[in-house]
Amino acid sequence: MNFGDKLLSGKFIITAEVSPPKGTDIEEMLKDASLVKDLTDAINVTDNQRALMRMSAQAACSLLRQEGYETIMHLTCRDRNRLALQSELLGASAMGIRNVLVMSGDHPVKGDHEGAKPVYDLDSVQLLGLIQKLNRGFDFSGNLLAGGTDFCTGAVTNTDTNELALIKLSKKIKMGASFIQTQAVFDTGKFCEFMDKIEPKHEGGRVKIIAGIIPLKSEKNAKFLNSNIAGVKIPEDIIHRMRTAKNPEACGMKIAADLINELRDMCDGVHIMPIGNHENTREILEMAGII
Amino acid sequence: MIISRQKEFKEILRNLNEWNIFIIGCGKCAAKMRVGGEPEVIEMGKKLRRAGKNITGWTVLSSACSIPSWEDVLSCNPGVKKSDALLVMSCGGGVSAISRLAGITVYPALDTESLGGVCGDENLKELCGMCGECKVWIFGGICPISQCSKGLLNGPCGGAVDGKCEVDERSCAWDEIYKKLEKLGKLEYLEIIHEPKDHTKKERSGKV
Repeated sequence: MNFGDKLLSGKFIITAEVSPPKGTDIEEMLKDASLVKDLTDAINVTDNQRALMRMSAQAACSLLRQEGYETIMHLTCRDRNRLALQSELLGASAMGIRNVLVMSGDHPVKGDHEGAKPVYDLDSVQLLGLIQKLNRGFDFSGNLLAGGTDFCTGAVTNTDTNELALIKLSKKIKMGASFIQTQAVFDTGKFCEFMDKIEPKHEGGRVKIIAGIIPLKSEKNAKFLNSNIAGVKIPEDIIHRMRTAKNPEACGMKIAADLINELRDMCDGVHIMPIGNHENTREILEMAGII
Repeated sequence: MIISRQKEFKEILRNLNEWNIFIIGCGKCAAKMRVGGEPEVIEMGKKLRRAGKNITGWTVLSSACSIPSWEDVLSCNPGVKKSDALLVMSCGGGVSAISRLAGITVYPALDTESLGGVCGDENLKELCGMCGECKVWIFGGICPISQCSKGLLNGPCGGAVDGKCEVDERSCAWDEIYKKLEKLGKLEYLEIIHEPKDHTKKERSGKV
């Protein structure tokens, strides 16, 4: 069963995030992926995340596929115009990549190539629309393709959303997103409110909501995320628990496991985004009782 | 209004290889922005003299980008003919217009930032992205092409923290668009799904 089928099956989805290497040595990436092999329904592969230049997500996904992994290729609007986006997508399809997660992408000034020209020829809503065209066998300009694509497409959202962000999310759903991966969740009460707010928008459960999880490693970690990562709001009680914990890493794992356990009845899956590698992911999922 | 800023003086000096320099200011945007009007031109002349240059004269044209007759400029300013190079304190439009007319090298003293405006005593940057297909009313008069750091047409990116853009200290343009449309009673405009821009609509669509 592929990832798209699993989404339809109603199974509680588990995905995990892996970053391509900064360089050509893929050993660490393969090792990280191997830590979550057999635990996940698909591995997300990032696209120059936080605007830090790395190996292309398409190449990394292809390499992981050779090793037997199903991947979700991230695709940002930051680095490519509509020609390059389509070439990338056709190439990805030919390499057997079936799932794409679309996002605007952090601005170049946030990364390690500050002077780069930001592209944003399309935005995430328009890119989702473009993928629907490719799936129907046509390019952006309406030319017939010699073989179309068959992508299962997803989009991202923060969960602490105002009306404006909800409108954008509903546009993403209208333009064909079949799953939504959220920014890291630390407050299930707030997440529940988010789910209520989007309930009328996600088409009676057709669109699957996968909640983001970042296992914390330290209080410093938590504070860094709060002040530097948009959409992450770690409540004071969690920061206090991290501050007073004898073993902060174990405490972070417990917090993540408890969150997953609570989220199980609220949404359609979880997406694990560790700080560093996946060495603790198996144990967290076991503690949460979902594997 | 073209928004420009003065280059660092050391950069101007590094570029200026010539000895005899005539300075031209602009009485429109650069004067209003206080980067190329009479006081700034006079100050530039003093600094260049102190740096050892020979200033053959200076003038402030009513508009550096709109020159009906170069002959008139020459007859009113004999210092131009005595110079080896011109230093123009205007936006890139003015520098380029003068470069077409003057037979000598023309150096810019300013860096052009954006197409903006002035409301009261507030200088406003990046009001227009010059996309060639204006739909600014749909966004409550706030152009996302120029005001949003990513030029997003279908809503905010999710990168803003406490209403501030992820790129700098400016407010998220989309928050401003929302507030404005709310005030105008036109929030339904936010539901419109915008197609990607047609870049052939720009003047010289091939330009980057």
